[in-house]
Amino acid sequence: MVETKELPQTRRPSGLQLGFMVFVILAVLTAAEFMFAFFLNAWPLMALMAFLKGGLVLNYYMHFPRLFQADKDENRESFSYKLTTNRLGLWFFMLSDAFIFGGLLVSRFNLLALTRPQLNQFMGLTITTVLLISSFFANRAEVSMEQGNRRQAIISLSITIILGLAFLATVLFVEWRIAPFGPGDGVQGAVFYSMTGFHAFHVLTGIFFLSIVLRNLIRQRYSAEKHWGLEAAIVYWHFIDVVWIFFYPALYLIGTLPH
Amino acid sequence: MKKTATLGLFRGFLWEIIGTVFGVAFVTVVRMLMRLPAWKPEPAAVVGALFGALFFLYGVGVLDDWIKWANGEEAPEHVEDASLGWRRYFSVSLDHKVIGMQYLTLALILFAIGGMFALIFRTDLAQPMAQFLTPIEYNTLMSLHGIVMIIGILVGISAIMNYTVPLLIGANDMAFPRLNAFSFWIAVPAGVILLSSLFMGGFDTGWTGYPPLSLRAPLGIQMFFLGVSLSSFSSILSALNILVSVTRLRAKGMTPFRMPIFVWAAIATSVISMTATQLIGLAFQMSMLERLLGMGFFDPIKGGNPVLFEHLFWFYSHPAVYVFILPGLGIISELLPVFVRKPLYGYKWVAMSSLAIALTGFLVWGHHMFAAGMAEYLREPFMYSTLLVSVPTGVKFFSWVATMWKGKITFPSPMLFVLGGIVVFLLGGLSGPPNATVSTDLMLNNTYYIVGHFHDTLFGGYVFTLFAALYFWWPKMTGRRLNETLGKLHFWLMGPAMLVLTLVMMRVGLLGMRRRVYNYDTSLGLQPYHMVMTIAGFLIGLSVLIFFINIFITMKRGEIVTGNIWNSRSPEWQVPSPMPIHNYEKEFEVVGEPYDYGLPGSRYVKFQGED
Repeated sequence: MVETKELPQTRRPSGLQLGFMVFVILAVLTAAEFMFAFFLNAWPLMALMAFLKGGLVLNYYMHFPRLFQADKDENRESFSYKLTTNRLGLWFFMLSDAFIFGGLLVSRFNLLALTRPQLNQFMGLTITTVLLISSFFANRAEVSMEQGNRRQAIISLSITIILGLAFLATVLFVEWRIAPFGPGDGVQGAVFYSMTGFHAFHVLTGIFFLSIVLRNLIRQRYSAEKHWGLEAAIVYWHFIDVVWIFFYPALYLIGTLPH
Repeated sequence: MKKTATLGLFRGFLWEIIGTVFGVAFVTVVRMLMRLPAWKPEPAAVVGALFGALFFLYGVGVLDDWIKWANGEEAPEHVEDASLGWRRYFSVSLDHKVIGMQYLTLALILFAIGGMFALIFRTDLAQPMAQFLTPIEYNTLMSLHGIVMIIGILVGISAIMNYTVPLLIGANDMAFPRLNAFSFWIAVPAGVILLSSLFMGGFDTGWTGYPPLSLRAPLGIQMFFLGVSLSSFSSILSALNILVSVTRLRAKGMTPFRMPIFVWAAIATSVISMTATQLIGLAFQMSMLERLLGMGFFDPIKGGNPVLFEHLFWFYSHPAVYVFILPGLGIISELLPVFVRKPLYGYKWVAMSSLAIALTGFLVWGHHMFAAGMAEYLREPFMYSTLLVSVPTGVKFFSWVATMWKGKITFPSPMLFVLGGIVVFLLGGLSGPPNATVSTDLMLNNTYYIVGHFHDTLFGGYVFTLFAALYFWWPKMTGRRLNETLGKLHFWLMGPAMLVLTLVMMRVGLLGMRRRVYNYDTSLGLQPYHMVMTIAGFLIGLSVLIFFINIFITMKRGEIVTGNIWNSRSPEWQVPSPMPIHNYEKEFEVVGEPYDYGLPGSRYVKFQGED
């Protein structure tokens, strides 16, 4: 005769809502980072923001916890077993790639210390925003696919690609043109062009993969259950975004202008 | 001719030539459009070589399946056509055993070339003053000897790991067979590009390629940078594959502490090569960009920092020596129990010591820079972290000695090489701490003492153990046993010659002989020592020649063996040799400890259907 007390039901947000919430938090954090840079100029705070943003993307957009899910099917030849294997491979690849970007960051702080190159702040914030919005749409494409909404996935993926191309074009044809130094002009130029160049090359490969996936998506090669190619390309796209989350403050915000 | 044309390798090289021409034309046209002088050798050579490598990969056919996937087509997982015979080894194959043999062939070719370079400049060094080499020729050969051997070692490690790891964990292939093929085939154009530096002016920096010298070296250095950058992908991707395979494809019941000990060594090695390798690639790519576009990373004139290069470079290149030796030490621990018929002493400690060496290895790179102008307060921490590496290494030695203690030791060739490896590596290890200690290193830095030290560690930790592994697993690979007499001759020539060579190296180093120089002061009285080193070097060359002859004659006339000739408990020896094309027809389950030799009634694996 024990009366069961009903627990208040907490509604879990749907995938699309969660993605949007994460996007809003990321945008707020980016704005906060920008403010910190110009009113406090405290690099530990900016580093903290970058790590927070990176953690959010890693957890919610790149689904890091999926690596630790138990196998649904112990059969080595099954799709679900191979899926986990593939995910592990992709994450190891990204870990390895992260060392290149880590090396570039180390070089930047070794060569420039707490000074920063003379760059156009407006352009910096613009491309960061473009990449952030593209990440939101990439996530939307993936969630839509998981829910079986192929049409919405196609639209979101196309927007992601267009935003990626916009990012790439802005870096190569605006940022690189209006920078007050060329690649051969001292340490500033070397650091700026190598960091943006390595990153832009990854953006290019990301767009390449996303385009392949989009083509196959339109030709109905993926289903709600089996879409590893789509997931991989999108996780890789988020990885490129995480790299920029660290590169943006390192290039534009941290430190003072040289005299 | 028609048959040759179907070989992947042949098509690859054809496409590489096309790609190189395309790359050179591309650069020239772009420069013309930018209204620059159309012809400039350096960018043309670099872009040409890069396109050559990419076209090679396409031509050899390693990208075919991925192109199919990109087009939304299915590509069959694992088709192996055994009827192709030897031709299988010269085209793309997804079978890890074939890829292992391909790696091995490439490694042996690189060793032969690198060894030849050493003999040439060693002969020149036998007398003071330049003998028959010009200084730049000497420098190029000396530098290429270093880097060709290093790439050879990395390729050789991939060979052994690729062949044995899936067999040891009971998998039918690696986790990503196509990626596995890719990581082998990218090493081929990388090797070609690396060696092409010989014909493009050479380079005079040694294998380290320090700036600012490397920024002013002849064109050959770009080929060196590019070759090493490309081959770094080979070791990164192969390491990734090993890690995923070991995580996901182990046999039933194979808990971490029931894995064969070599698998632990493979994990430790792969952790380093998967991550740190990117840093040498980055350092070399930055140097390439600095030469091509004038970016001022490392040139002090432009405000750059040459010490930054050394940090990036050694962050990989010191852990890299643990990449070289860890698989070798794993092979020693793997083979020793077989030949002493006793359990491996302290299995868990040995397994953990591999990981400990790998992880400590990430913290020691600064000991290469005690005299390089690195911040002074960094010296002591790097000194102590370096000395710390000797603790897990000591654990391994203790385990080996305790394993051998009161064992029923037999001495076939693999065992001889295992023991030789232990002795030579011990010498290498003991000569290490003086280099790690700041006070003594400031004296020993850049002398032949260092040369003696690392030749001992690499021969003991890598070369001897590689030969041990080859003599041990050759019957598994080919179904024929290598000739035992020639094997013993090989060992008894190489072992003593190696000891003489490296001990004399250390001796002349203490007497003041600098490394990397092509001339030395006659008043130091070093000529006799140099003569002895040259003779010892040639004896090592002769012993390796005997090994090649051994391979050659046993290929056709070797003793055919199919059974478990070493009486090993390891799963791959429980099935007939040579290894069946799809590895294990019946899956096995691990039911006991791997090294319980001499324990009656114990068993390691139980195959399906057995009781």
